Amino acid sequence: MDSFVLLKKTLPTFIEKLSDEYDVFAPTRKDNIFEYKLISKPSDINLDFVNSRLPPKSILLQQTETLFKFKPGRKGKILPKEISEDKKIIFAIRPCDAKSFSILDTVFDSDFKDPLYLSKRENSVLIGLSCNNPGVNCFCTSFGDSPTSSKFVDILFTDIGEKFFVETISDKGKKLVEKITDLFEKATEEDKNLKDSAEKEAIDTIKRNMKLEGVVEKLDEIFESQLWHSIAMKCIGCGTCTFLCPTCHCFDMQDEATLKEGARIRVWDSCMYSEYTMHASGHNPRPARMNRVRNRVYHKFSYFPKNSEYTACTGCGRCIEFCPVNIDIIDVIAKVREVKV
Amino acid sequence: MTENPYQPWIVTIDEIRNEVIGERAIKTFKLVFQDEEVKKNFTFLPGQCIMVSLFGSGECFFAISSSPTQKGYIEASVMKLGKVTSALHECEVGDTLGVRGPYGNHFDVDGWKNKNLLFIGGGIGQAPLRALINYAIDNREKYNKLDIIYGARTTGDLCYKEELADLEKREDSDVHLSIDVEEEGWNHYVGFVPDNLTRFDPSPENTIAITCGPPIMIKFVMQNLLKLGFSEDQIFTTLEMRMKCGIGFCGRCNIGNLYVCKDGPVFSYNQLKNLQGDM
Amino acid sequence: MVNQEQLVDAVKKTVSREDVKYVVGYEKGTYGCEVTPSFAHSSEEAEKFIFTPLCVHNLAIYPKLEEKLPLGRDEKEDTRKIGLVVKGCDSRAVVQIIQEKGLKREDVVLIGIPCTGVVNPKKLKSRYPNYAEIVEIEEKDSSFSIKFNEENHTIPKEELLFDACINCEYPNPPIYDILIGEEIKSTNKETYEKVKVVESKSQKEKWAYWEEHFQRCIRCYACRDACPLCYCKECMVDQLDPRWVRRSVNLSENTAWNIMRALHLAGRCVGCSECERVCPMDIPLTELNKKLEKNIMEIYDYIPGISEEAKPLLGTFKPDDPEEFIL
Repeated sequence: MDSFVLLKKTLPTFIEKLSDEYDVFAPTRKDNIFEYKLISKPSDINLDFVNSRLPPKSILLQQTETLFKFKPGRKGKILPKEISEDKKIIFAIRPCDAKSFSILDTVFDSDFKDPLYLSKRENSVLIGLSCNNPGVNCFCTSFGDSPTSSKFVDILFTDIGEKFFVETISDKGKKLVEKITDLFEKATEEDKNLKDSAEKEAIDTIKRNMKLEGVVEKLDEIFESQLWHSIAMKCIGCGTCTFLCPTCHCFDMQDEATLKEGARIRVWDSCMYSEYTMHASGHNPRPARMNRVRNRVYHKFSYFPKNSEYTACTGCGRCIEFCPVNIDIIDVIAKVREVKV
Repeated sequence: MTENPYQPWIVTIDEIRNEVIGERAIKTFKLVFQDEEVKKNFTFLPGQCIMVSLFGSGECFFAISSSPTQKGYIEASVMKLGKVTSALHECEVGDTLGVRGPYGNHFDVDGWKNKNLLFIGGGIGQAPLRALINYAIDNREKYNKLDIIYGARTTGDLCYKEELADLEKREDSDVHLSIDVEEEGWNHYVGFVPDNLTRFDPSPENTIAITCGPPIMIKFVMQNLLKLGFSEDQIFTTLEMRMKCGIGFCGRCNIGNLYVCKDGPVFSYNQLKNLQGDM
Repeated sequence: MVNQEQLVDAVKKTVSREDVKYVVGYEKGTYGCEVTPSFAHSSEEAEKFIFTPLCVHNLAIYPKLEEKLPLGRDEKEDTRKIGLVVKGCDSRAVVQIIQEKGLKREDVVLIGIPCTGVVNPKKLKSRYPNYAEIVEIEEKDSSFSIKFNEENHTIPKEELLFDACINCEYPNPPIYDILIGEEIKSTNKETYEKVKVVESKSQKEKWAYWEEHFQRCIRCYACRDACPLCYCKECMVDQLDPRWVRRSVNLSENTAWNIMRALHLAGRCVGCSECERVCPMDIPLTELNKKLEKNIMEIYDYIPGISEEAKPLLGTFKPDDPEEFIL
């Protein structure tokens, strides 16, 4: 890992240089909503944010994506899809959201490979921005991560006042900085100290904490618990938690066609909807909100850890902040731990 | 990494057989790959599934109901239920469809060598069993006795009638049919499949029981098998769920931490017993 | 200001009734001044009930959301009543559902709260990015008193209220079984200010205005799920055949969804603003609803959710119905 600094006033030049070769996605602001968007100029960027409303998963796993096109009907034909190899930069991605891609990799790069996600993933460079002021419902530290973690990014920026402290982590990141090395200066010991104190301060800001010890085992024992009914009672089944979640990846596939042309698309879906699992016969394995709420919690905190090295939660806090009825995943897991077997 | 797993191969409908007509119509589609290479190289084992699509209507997951010993084509039996299956039922011989697969695990055709095979099917649930039955008939020396317990609501709802009649005629296999409600001229059992199983009282010795049908039937068949002395690792079923991708990404077909599309559809009773999940 | 003791007493009294299953109200949420819907099955559970200016949720949604557990062999369905804590607009939603025969009056016991307006959490959050550090929010006459970081802030009410609350003409529940406190004498008059602003735009500007908002929609349908009057067994948007609205999330389909949602609520929407509150993408849905409310008012002189006896407006035909809008 090499450390540099980039003067804040040099940031626009840095972004312009990147734009020559890459599609640059960065946080932009519209009213109170921050969103990662393809920017056309450095001034589109707004870094005065805690986190984006929609997670940047929407860049690599687009909400609506064409799988291939076809000529519809009973004499149909396939018009193959070219898988894009466009190079992308996601600038100022938060460490928690960067982690979500490592979690999603375990889904899309497993027994089968999903080239639509993976090609975008491989062609993307993640430039992280440390979370100097974590939000009120942030709890990434509960997963052993830090608001200034460099573990899941290629390059990490940390705001240290007049400059950004820049760490190049992966080969991808190192190569990128090498090409425009004249913009950077070597970091001094003082810069490093500034970063360390930013990290300490950020960690101290995080007040919320999820205790995960024994949760996977406990969940195995309380599948039939009354707890799921009591949580589901207030749930309105809106799916906001899943849409805003950086690790939720479930999708629906549909054919959308006119008489002459059509496409098979995939579009984000939500396990909180009853249609999601409804069989054509009318049988539904998850007929009630109780089943759906339970499945959501189990998927993240039991099935994922059983199938991969991760819990499918990064502690970004979006589902907590935007749940219309205050179903709070930290509280849910605390209750899981409290249930008497 | 240019291969797009969502993009199917094109098949031509070579033959359509009406298994059941009326409200709960079932048709068996015989599908032939248009690409000669694919036709030659497409291999699967009984129990595996395919995604069949009609361009513009959508895609559905079906068990392959033909045996891999039947070369040059694959078959899927489709009950007319939802949007896609209704559109498939409108199709005619010569029409083109999309097929991708094969997906999922399969029956342990080698592990079950020299064993008696007991099939317990209900309605359209016979489709995946038929693949294994035909496979066993074509590899007859590999297995011992074949018993087929099969039932449907009415005589009109029974699939594969001719094949079942042929099996009945054979000396090395027995068929035990049932319908739910009495009908004139019916000289087999009247009642539910799990009861027909108990009545038949098969010996668990050196036998593998494989069941498929509506969820409620599977549940009672398994209970009755246990009562008949079958051990938990002698009982297998094949499950279905609503699916979209078939390859473990789209999320909806999980039972506990397993996905029916790639970890199933064939499960042993042992596996299911230890699996907590919504079915 | 709602008297806490009186509220808890009313809930206890209601939940103790033999013909009541449980009472839905509000309790303190899991962080900051957050409030969450609460279900009291017993007098003890009623103790935690509160009413604060953040009790925004329209609880009229819950009777229709109730999930019945599978019954055992000898079990009978529990047909007892559900108690609900209702503000003016919440009670109007119940009235509207009763009108449409979605509920019977005897299915619910209503604990009415004369409402002086509730805080729009989005306005609060944009003022206090660290809103979770707000420990308490209280109504004091025409302002809210907020305890934040050991400081006391006083903010004029209209700066934090939902737009719909500022000129709310129906602060009192039109129907209730128990009323907490006294009815409010209100002289408020809805002025439709925001609606008028959009109305004054040109056709092109109007499209541009709404397109900008609909473009953002992620079609999570939270607006529908939070709406007490969106209780269709199967929403038209979920129907597979025919597909009224395609699954693709793009401006065209998003517009179709948002307009259809609003139109399905014409003459039914009671203006509680729940759709707007729960929208994760901050689409100003109240403006759409209010526009329809205004049109319905102007054309038919009709206000939804006022009388149980009234017939659903668009479900009835009168020979002298105005029809200028029919081409």
